Amino acid sequence: MGNVLELADVRKSFRPGFIPKKREVLTGVSFTVAAGEIFGYLGPNGAGKTTTIKCVLGLVFPDAGTVSLFGRSPLNPRSKDRLGFLPENPYFYDHLSGREFLDFYAQLSRVDKTERAGRIDRLLRLVGLERAAEQALRKYSRGMLQRIGLAQALINEPEFVILDEPLGGLDPLGRKEIRDIILGLRAAGRTVLFTSHILQDIEMICDRVAIIVGGRILSQGRLSDLVSEKILFTEITLAGVDDASLADFGDRLQTREGRTLLKVFDETRVQPLLDLVRERGGRIHALVPRTQTLEDIFVDTVARR
Amino acid sequence: MARKTPLAPAALLLLLGGLAGIKVGLDGMPRAKIPGAGIVYLPSGPAVKAAVFGFSSLTADVSYVWAIQYYGNTAVPDRRRHFNRIFEVIADLDPNWMDPYLTAALIAHHDFRDPELALKMYDDGAARNPGAWIFPFEAGHYCQLYLRDYERAKSYYRKAMDLPEAPAIARRLFANAAFKTMDYQTSWETWREVYETAPDREIKKIASNHLYNIKASVDIAALNAALERFREIRGRAARRLDELASTRLIAAVPKDFDGKDYLYDPKTGEVKTAVIPWKR
Amino acid sequence: MTILVIARHTFKEAVRDRILYLLLFFSSLSIILARVLAVLTVGDRVKVVKDVCLASIAFFGALMAILIGTGLVYKEIEKRTIFTLISKPLRRSEFLLGKYLGLVLTLAAMVAAMTVISLAVVFLHTFTLEIQMLPAVFFIFLELMLLTAVAVLFSCFSTPILSSLFALSFYLIGHFSWGLDTLIRKTPPGIGRTLLRVLDAILPDLENFNIKTEVVQNLPLPSGFGLGAAGYAVVYTAFVLLLAVLIFRRRDFV
Repeated sequence: MGNVLELADVRKSFRPGFIPKKREVLTGVSFTVAAGEIFGYLGPNGAGKTTTIKCVLGLVFPDAGTVSLFGRSPLNPRSKDRLGFLPENPYFYDHLSGREFLDFYAQLSRVDKTERAGRIDRLLRLVGLERAAEQALRKYSRGMLQRIGLAQALINEPEFVILDEPLGGLDPLGRKEIRDIILGLRAAGRTVLFTSHILQDIEMICDRVAIIVGGRILSQGRLSDLVSEKILFTEITLAGVDDASLADFGDRLQTREGRTLLKVFDETRVQPLLDLVRERGGRIHALVPRTQTLEDIFVDTVARR
Repeated sequence: MARKTPLAPAALLLLLGGLAGIKVGLDGMPRAKIPGAGIVYLPSGPAVKAAVFGFSSLTADVSYVWAIQYYGNTAVPDRRRHFNRIFEVIADLDPNWMDPYLTAALIAHHDFRDPELALKMYDDGAARNPGAWIFPFEAGHYCQLYLRDYERAKSYYRKAMDLPEAPAIARRLFANAAFKTMDYQTSWETWREVYETAPDREIKKIASNHLYNIKASVDIAALNAALERFREIRGRAARRLDELASTRLIAAVPKDFDGKDYLYDPKTGEVKTAVIPWKR
Repeated sequence: MTILVIARHTFKEAVRDRILYLLLFFSSLSIILARVLAVLTVGDRVKVVKDVCLASIAFFGALMAILIGTGLVYKEIEKRTIFTLISKPLRRSEFLLGKYLGLVLTLAAMVAAMTVISLAVVFLHTFTLEIQMLPAVFFIFLELMLLTAVAVLFSCFSTPILSSLFALSFYLIGHFSWGLDTLIRKTPPGIGRTLLRVLDAILPDLENFNIKTEVVQNLPLPSGFGLGAAGYAVVYTAFVLLLAVLIFRRRDFV
């Protein structure tokens, strides 16, 4: 399958007010989202994640570069027919009930009249809002708005779903539910692009990742390519061995209440260390092999700037 | 990435042309109007003032401008009817604005040929602005020039001349009006005052001419009366003015302001000044 | 039609707005007040009643058009509801025109309500249904259509308060354009006069929609005037809406 979304060297700057100085938000963003994958768009707050998505949706016009959505312009209604979008901190019409709201959007998405009611019921069930369906949206909590927002994004059974910070404002249980929905979408053959500033969310479910910092993509690729499986070092907490005999195994980080935290870089030295501890009648409290995480890459790349 | 559509600006221009065209066409159509029909809705001045939320002087301006247009429109058949009301409203809105009173008086006089109405406008102005000399001054003119009512002119000028910043001519006009009402005493005293306080020779000359004239008028009137009595007593006209003194009809034959004799023509019985007062 | 979906939703949103009912209440109050005024006046009472009724419809209609018109589009941008709307298969022009249409529908409902009240009040005086007032109402509605378009235009790029001021200025300029005629007559021929003439042709002349006097006084309208005025309203509205669409299509929603 081909690419659902392609961004090539997208640049955007804003002119806040009448001040002639421009504020550059995107300085050349390029990435592609392939069909059928969950794509994570990671970056700290203010890095340009939402602006990128606005360019994709045609809410904002890039100064330079191209965006193609299903191979067409983002302004083309036919490409939007196949798209669903959940904005960050969604807010919807106060005066409508959840069901009225979904019905309105279903009409906009040209969902057939015979199918509308059934689909709305299904979506309400999916996001767990069956019981709040007749309530006015102004009475919805933030988490409920997030859920109804997800429901409206899926109203046209889109091939491609863009979710901006979908897990923000949710409790742990809610996060898990939304994560499950996203994984369910992939299972159903849909493509998902979602942004987050929280690494775990992305690490847990994404196939591919792009990291944006300061309006520039710093690194992107398959999660397995970005994160090496190699063990970087092993942290061992032990007791009952004198510091002097530990010196040639690795860096001693701290000693507290008779326990010593040792950082062993050479994998081959771990077994001899364990032998030594047993020999001396000491104890192992913890042994943690550390592989590279997305956080390391993230911190690395941000620090490198 | 915004799609460029040259069609849109072209359509925009087309529409602009279209609307301008229709507008010009519509302007060409004369709309039937009842001239001055809107006047019915003019409420009383205090009501307007309450309704305009502190913009009363602005409203006065607008009403005034509108009133001028209204009275300039000869198509309104009975403009006279609401005249008082309109200008009362304006005066209530901005009582210290002088122009409307003056303009109203002008309209009253020139348009309606009604000097009395004009005088009422001046009186209104004066009542609301007791310190303004212009109202009694102008009113005095109206009485003198159009009504030939010197009594009223005299009292208007009297008011005007004592007000601050009144022009000096007001006093002279007062003296003149007093003369016309044959109040020689007042006229004499006033001219005397003018004469004594005159700032230049020209004014002094004018004042002295007037003093000459008053004295002549008084003297000639007295001489005429004495000549009349003489004829009654003697059954003939006096041959010379001296005869009047010798018969004790007068104490002495008066001389004019310059100390010269009055001329007497026994044939006609007419007494004249030796010179024309204004050519002295 | 997506435009109609948006229009229907806008109508629903507007009629749930409390400010609309407040204005409707005050307009009804003012129309009913006409009856009181009729008691106070001397002369033709029906004329006064009709005048006040038509003036109330015109005034409160304009107020509704401006207050609701300037808020609706801006609110969608401000509250970011437009983000999800635009992500639907919906052109920006369709969104804007749908909003406009919904507003016009709302105003039609409101004007209809005020007209019914007016006719009832007049009926109490004459005991006949004065349907000859309806043309005047129709022209007021034409004016409101144009005014709404202007309100929507300004709300595409400005805050509601500023837009309201702009729209109000448009309304005032539209009703004082005769002042420009006077100015033209007093200006000596030349470039200045030509410029004034161009300005006079382009600036809105809302007096073309004011046939209240003619209707109340039973004066004849020049033949073709009604058609011309209606054409003027349609063309002017189309112009303003196209301008609004052009501006709206280019703006970023941040």
